[in-house]
Amino acid sequence: MDPEARKVVELGYGGSERLTMNMGPQHPSAHGVFRAILTLEGETVVGVDAVIGYLHRCHEKLGESLTYTQYPSIASKTDYVAAMTSELAYVRAAELVGKIEVPKRAQYLRVIVAELQRIASHCLWLGTWCLDMGGALGGGATVFLYCIREREWVLDLFEALVGARLLYGFHQVGGVRYDIPAGWAQKCRETIALIERRLDEYEDMLERNAFFQARTQGVGVISRELAQTVGVSGPLIRGSGVSYDIRRLEPYSSYEDFDFKVPVETAGDCYARYRVRMVEFRESIKIIRQALDGLPEGPVSSRPGVKSVGQVRVAKGEGYARVEGPRGEVGCYLIADGGPKPYRMKWRGASFSNLSVLPHILIGTKVADVVAIMGSVDPVFGEVDR
Amino acid sequence: MPRRLGESFWGDLFGLVAAVVRAMKVTLINLIRRPITVHYPDRTRKYPDRYRGLLALTYDKETGEENCIGCRLCEYICPPQVIKVEMLKGEKRNFAKTFTLELYACEFCELCVQVCPTDAIVMMKSFDMSTADRRELLLDKDRLHQIGLTFEPSWATGNLLRDMQTPPKVPAKAGGHAE
Amino acid sequence: MPGLPPLALETIRAFIVGFIVLNVVIGMVTYVTLLERKFAARMQSRIGPYRVGPHGLLQPIADALKLMMKEDVVPRQADRPVYNLAPIVFLVPCMLIFATVPFAPGLGVADLNIGVLFFLAVSAMEIVGLFMGGWGSNNKYALLSAMRAVNQIISYDLPFIFVALIPVVLAGSLRLSDIAAAQADLPFVFWFPLGTLAFLAYVVATLAAENRVPFDILEAESELIAGFRVEYSGMKFALIQLGEYAHMIATSFLGALLFLGAWSGPWSDTWPWWGALWFLLKAMFVFLLVTWIRWSFVRIRVDQILAISWKLLLPVSLLLLMATAVVVVLRGTGHA
Repeated sequence: MDPEARKVVELGYGGSERLTMNMGPQHPSAHGVFRAILTLEGETVVGVDAVIGYLHRCHEKLGESLTYTQYPSIASKTDYVAAMTSELAYVRAAELVGKIEVPKRAQYLRVIVAELQRIASHCLWLGTWCLDMGGALGGGATVFLYCIREREWVLDLFEALVGARLLYGFHQVGGVRYDIPAGWAQKCRETIALIERRLDEYEDMLERNAFFQARTQGVGVISRELAQTVGVSGPLIRGSGVSYDIRRLEPYSSYEDFDFKVPVETAGDCYARYRVRMVEFRESIKIIRQALDGLPEGPVSSRPGVKSVGQVRVAKGEGYARVEGPRGEVGCYLIADGGPKPYRMKWRGASFSNLSVLPHILIGTKVADVVAIMGSVDPVFGEVDR
Repeated sequence: MPRRLGESFWGDLFGLVAAVVRAMKVTLINLIRRPITVHYPDRTRKYPDRYRGLLALTYDKETGEENCIGCRLCEYICPPQVIKVEMLKGEKRNFAKTFTLELYACEFCELCVQVCPTDAIVMMKSFDMSTADRRELLLDKDRLHQIGLTFEPSWATGNLLRDMQTPPKVPAKAGGHAE
Repeated sequence: MPGLPPLALETIRAFIVGFIVLNVVIGMVTYVTLLERKFAARMQSRIGPYRVGPHGLLQPIADALKLMMKEDVVPRQADRPVYNLAPIVFLVPCMLIFATVPFAPGLGVADLNIGVLFFLAVSAMEIVGLFMGGWGSNNKYALLSAMRAVNQIISYDLPFIFVALIPVVLAGSLRLSDIAAAQADLPFVFWFPLGTLAFLAYVVATLAAENRVPFDILEAESELIAGFRVEYSGMKFALIQLGEYAHMIATSFLGALLFLGAWSGPWSDTWPWWGALWFLLKAMFVFLLVTWIRWSFVRIRVDQILAISWKLLLPVSLLLLMATAVVVVLRGTGHA
C-alpha cells in the first residue's frame, strides 16, 4: 500500500491535510472494475495505489481445459470490446505452433473483420471518454450516444455475418467459421462511407473545441523514454513519438498487401492519443475498402469443418503470436503437447501493460485529470484481469 | 493540425466562439434528424438470417420424426457444458431419451449447431423468452421442440456450416501460403 | 372583506397570490424537467420519456410519486441537523426569488422597488444550503464537491451581478417592472453592441451559477457521482432537485425580463395574459438555449473554470457596465 495512504489511514480521518479517496471498483468512470486509492492534497493527486483483479475469471486455466475448437468462442471474452482481435491472437498462436496454413480468403476476411472491430472499439472509446469528461447529463452523453449510434451500424454488419453482436466465435484454427453472405460487401461499403461522414461531425464537435483542448492538452504526458521503458503499446506509444505498429513490423494475415499509414504524434498527452485514434479510424476504413476490393475466391478454412470436440490437434511446440488490437499488443503464448488441448496458454493483455504507466503519470494531476487520463488509456478489464 | 490552446489570446477567444458555434450546429442538426429508436416491443427490427437466438430441436421434414440421434457430440463440445443428453437405443436408429439445455448459462456460440450430424439442434431468429423465474430457462426436450415450432429458424445448421468451412476436395490452387 | 385594515387585506392578498404562484412554479418545475429530457433526447437521436402517459407526459408525476415512496437513507455518521436542514435551506431561497418577478404588468406577488437586488441577494443564499449538504453527508465525494461549489458559485456571482446591473443602468431603476416597461419598443438584447454582449455574458454566468455543463464540475456525474447530493434519497433528494430547477427557471425568467423584454410582444397591451404568455415563451427560450449549450460540450476542470471567471468574465462584465454607464450619461436615458 502507498506509504502516504497508510499514514492517513492510521491517523484517521481529519488527522492530516491529505485525503485518501477510493475511486472504487464501482465508479461511473472506472471503465470497468478498477480500484484506485488516490491520496489527495486538496485537488492534487499525490499518491496512487491501483488494485485490479475484480474481473479475474481464470482464462488461462480455461485455456488448458478447453480444446482448440472450444476456446476461440471464450477468447473473445478477454477483450470483450474488441472480441475479434482477441480471438485472432489465440488462433494465430495455435496456427503458429502447429504450422497450420490459412487460406488467402480467410486472411482477407480476418483483416476486414479486425479493422471493422477497430472502428467499433474506437467508437466506444470516444463515446465513453467524452462521457467521463462531459458528464452523464451533458455534452459527454451527447457524443456518447452519437458514437454508439455509429457503432450499432458496425455491429449490424457483424450480426449479418456471424449472428452475434458482441462476442463472436468467428475465428477457428485454420481459418474462419463463416463466409460473407450475399450483399454483405455492399452493405459494408455503405456503412463505412456513413461512418466516414459522421467522423467529420465528431471532429467538428471536438477537435478545435477550446473546452476539449483545455481538458486534454498537456494532460497525462507520457514521455518517449517512459513509454519505451514501461512497455505500453498501441495508441499510447504511438502518441508518444514511437512508430510501433505490429501490422507494419511483423505483418500477419496479409497485412503487407494493404497500403495504410501508421499515425504517430509526438506530444504524448491525451490530445495526441486522441489524434492517433481518430486517424486510425480513417486508416481502418481505407484498409477495409482495399480488402473488399481485392477479396480473393477460395475456401475460408484450411481444415474441414468442426465435427467433434477434439478434432484439432496441434503438434508439440511453443510459440507467441501477437496482433495489433485497438488497445495495443494482444498476445498469446501457447505451449502445445500434441493433444487437443494446450499444455499452457498465457495471455498478454494490452490493457494490463498499459495500466502500468498510471503511477508515473497520475502523480501531480488533478482529480478531474485522472478521469481524462483513464479514458485516454482506454483499459478494458477483461484483458487486464482475464 | 489544429492549433494548440494557449498560443495567442485573441486566437483562442475567436477559436472558442467558433468552436462553440460549430458544436452547437452539430447538436442542432441532430435535433432535426429522425431518432433511430425502434419501439420494441411494439415494433421489432428485422433480424438477419444468421441470427443466433434461442436453441431448439427439430423434426425431420419428410418423416416427422425427431432429428436428434442422441450422439452427444453437442454435449462434449459445449464450452460451458450446458447440454446434457441421454441416449435411447432403438432398432433402426437411436434417440435422445432426455435432452436438457440450461439456457441461462448458454453462451450462444453455435458450436453445438456446428457439430450436429443430423441438423437436429438449430438456433432461432428470436430471443423473446424473458422470464422472471430462472427455472423456466432450464429447457427440456419437449420445450426445445416447442421452441422449434414457435419461432423462425435461422440459416445455420450443422451441415450447412461444415460445408461452408470445408475446403473443396479438388486440389485447386486457392492460394493459402503460410501467414 | 369590508372592515379590515388595508394592511390585513394586502397581507391576505399577498398570501393568496403567493400560494398560487408557488404551486404554479412547482408544477412548472416538474414539467420543465420533462421538457429538458425530451429536448436533450431529440438532440441525441433518441426519444425521451415515451411510455408513461401519452408521449411521456405523466413521467414527472411518476418520478414525483417514486421519490415520495423511496426510503430515506441517512448515513450513520452524518451530521444530522446540518444534513436534514440542507435541502430546506437550499430550496427556500430558490422559491423566494419568484416573489419579486412580475409575470405581467400588475401580476406578481410583490413588486419591490429593489427587485433586482433582492433577487440577486437571495439567490446567492443557496450556496449555504449546498455547502451544508456537502458537509453534513460525511462523504468525501460530497465534501470535495461542496468545496468546488463554494469556489465556483462565489466566483461567478460577481460577473452575474455586474451583468444583471447593465439593464438596471439602461432603465434607470431597480424595480423589475420598470425595467420591463423600458423595453416596450426594443428589448435590450437588440441594443447592439452592449446589450447583445451583455446577454451573452449573462448566459455564460447563468450556466456557471446553475452548475450546468460546461461548468458542472461540482456534480460531475462521472467523477463525483452526484456531488453534494450523493447521500440524499427520497423526498430530500426531490427537494434538492426542485430547488435546482426552480433556480434554473428563475434565472431564465430574470434573463427574459432583463434582456428580452419580458411581456412585450404582439397583442400584449390588449389582454395582460398575452403578456404573461410571451414572458413564459421568452423564459423557455432562455432555458432551452442554456439546455442546448449544456448538451453540446464537455466540462472543464475547476481551475480552468475559475480562470475563466476571474480572468475573462469579470473584467468583461465590468467593462460592459462602465461602458453602459458612460453611454447612458452621454445620451441621457436613450438608446445605446
